Amino acid sequence: MHHSIELEDVHARLGNSTVLNGVSILASPCEFVAVVGANGAGKTTLLKITNGTIQPQQGRVKVLGYDLSRSDHCHSVRKEIGLVPQRTISHRFPICVEEAVLMGRYGKIGLMRRPGEADREKANESMKAVGIFPLAKKPVHELSGGQQQKVSLARALAQEPSILLLDEPTTYLDADSSSEIMETIHSIHHQRRLTTLLVSHDPQWIDQYCDKIYLLKEGKITLTRG
Amino acid sequence: MGLGQLLSYPFMQHAIVAIFFAGIAFPLIGVFILSLNLIPLRFAMMHIALLGGAVGLFLKVDPLFLGLLFCSISSLVMGPVSEKMKVGLGALSGYFMTLTLAIAFILFYKANIHVVQAFSILWGSILSLTFVDLLLVIVVSVLILGLVAVFYKEIQTILYDREVALAVGLPEKMLYYAMIFVLGLTIAVSMRMIGALLIDAFVLLPAIAANLVSKSLKQVFFFSSAFGLISGMGGLYLALVFDLPTSSTIILVASLIIGICAIYERRTSFYGKGTSG
Repeated sequence: MHHSIELEDVHARLGNSTVLNGVSILASPCEFVAVVGANGAGKTTLLKITNGTIQPQQGRVKVLGYDLSRSDHCHSVRKEIGLVPQRTISHRFPICVEEAVLMGRYGKIGLMRRPGEADREKANESMKAVGIFPLAKKPVHELSGGQQQKVSLARALAQEPSILLLDEPTTYLDADSSSEIMETIHSIHHQRRLTTLLVSHDPQWIDQYCDKIYLLKEGKITLTRG
Repeated sequence: MGLGQLLSYPFMQHAIVAIFFAGIAFPLIGVFILSLNLIPLRFAMMHIALLGGAVGLFLKVDPLFLGLLFCSISSLVMGPVSEKMKVGLGALSGYFMTLTLAIAFILFYKANIHVVQAFSILWGSILSLTFVDLLLVIVVSVLILGLVAVFYKEIQTILYDREVALAVGLPEKMLYYAMIFVLGLTIAVSMRMIGALLIDAFVLLPAIAANLVSKSLKQVFFFSSAFGLISGMGGLYLALVFDLPTSSTIILVASLIIGICAIYERRTSFYGKGTSG
């Protein structure tokens, strides 16, 4: 069977410590997969390997048919992957929400070309889909952590990706907002038929939404469900 | 000597044209430095230029030319070296800063060069620019303006968050290295104009002021250029009228602009908070 994401026996080190130690993960097209593990278990490294930002020391990574040991493949595949990072912007950078979301279009527009009306329309649709359209003109640095995460989600959707990678999407949210954002992600996942890979330390919101769950402990997959 | 007569001299015309171009273009590099936190790199470039000057004096080649050459080469390699060695650009800048200074001092000592002569590269003078210097200023200015105009959306994304630029599929590394290269060229050319110690007058101060009053990146770029031009021309005018050192008067005008922008920012943020309740 053809998988959207195939990680096979992946080993990764950060400095002197082993972060991933023979991790294998499969995600089929339109599947919602979660990797759960404690802080420092290697979840973010796993996402960075999946979008070709870092290379594993050992193992095979294939995403949407691209072999990510080739740097040209990494560059091509990133345009098809929407990444929602965990961290937020704290420095005062003069940019409003709609500009930050529009950045999701920049890879596909290509170098030296300006975004057109269609690109702005896609950015608007994405903001509406995650419920931040009323914040369009607000500076990003004035938003709360949760709102900034929604901006990242909207930017990832504006990219019109085939794969959505989510790094701890409920970190900055209270219980109600966590439930709301997970509902939004789940509904977008179904509507847009995305392959979704979510990593989280908190299994609370995972069970009811995910087709498959991997448990990552000390750099190894210890349990798979689904 | 009257102002009109002064303006008829080629050195004065060179200075005015150089200030016009540098005033508009160089502060855009200041925006890069502030947003990407590249201040250590700017210091490293100064020391690398000093080493270039030392080698020039040692080999009896134009020290300013070698300073420019050393800065260009290092700005081209420092980005990739920092990524390859997995060392932050700040730490690498510290390394180059001390290493180049150490080698420069060895050269001064062995070649019996008077240190004041070698350090003359750190002063610079806007009123002693040759035609070739002027051409260099114009070329680098056009390069900066072209880079920002053509790659605006890419630069905006990198300044906002390099990781986002990479994630959305932009050639982030190539563009980041290009920005560092242009930064190195700007520092080197600024040294010929105004001296390494006063580079901030053209590069950083207008960008700092613009950041205080701007609400979008386009405004930051626009106000940086406007403030750079005003402080450059205003500083030159004051220097001529009151017979003062040009570099100092340019810095004084730029600092005054920062003060006015800071007051404006305080007032608008105070009233903004008041009205929003």
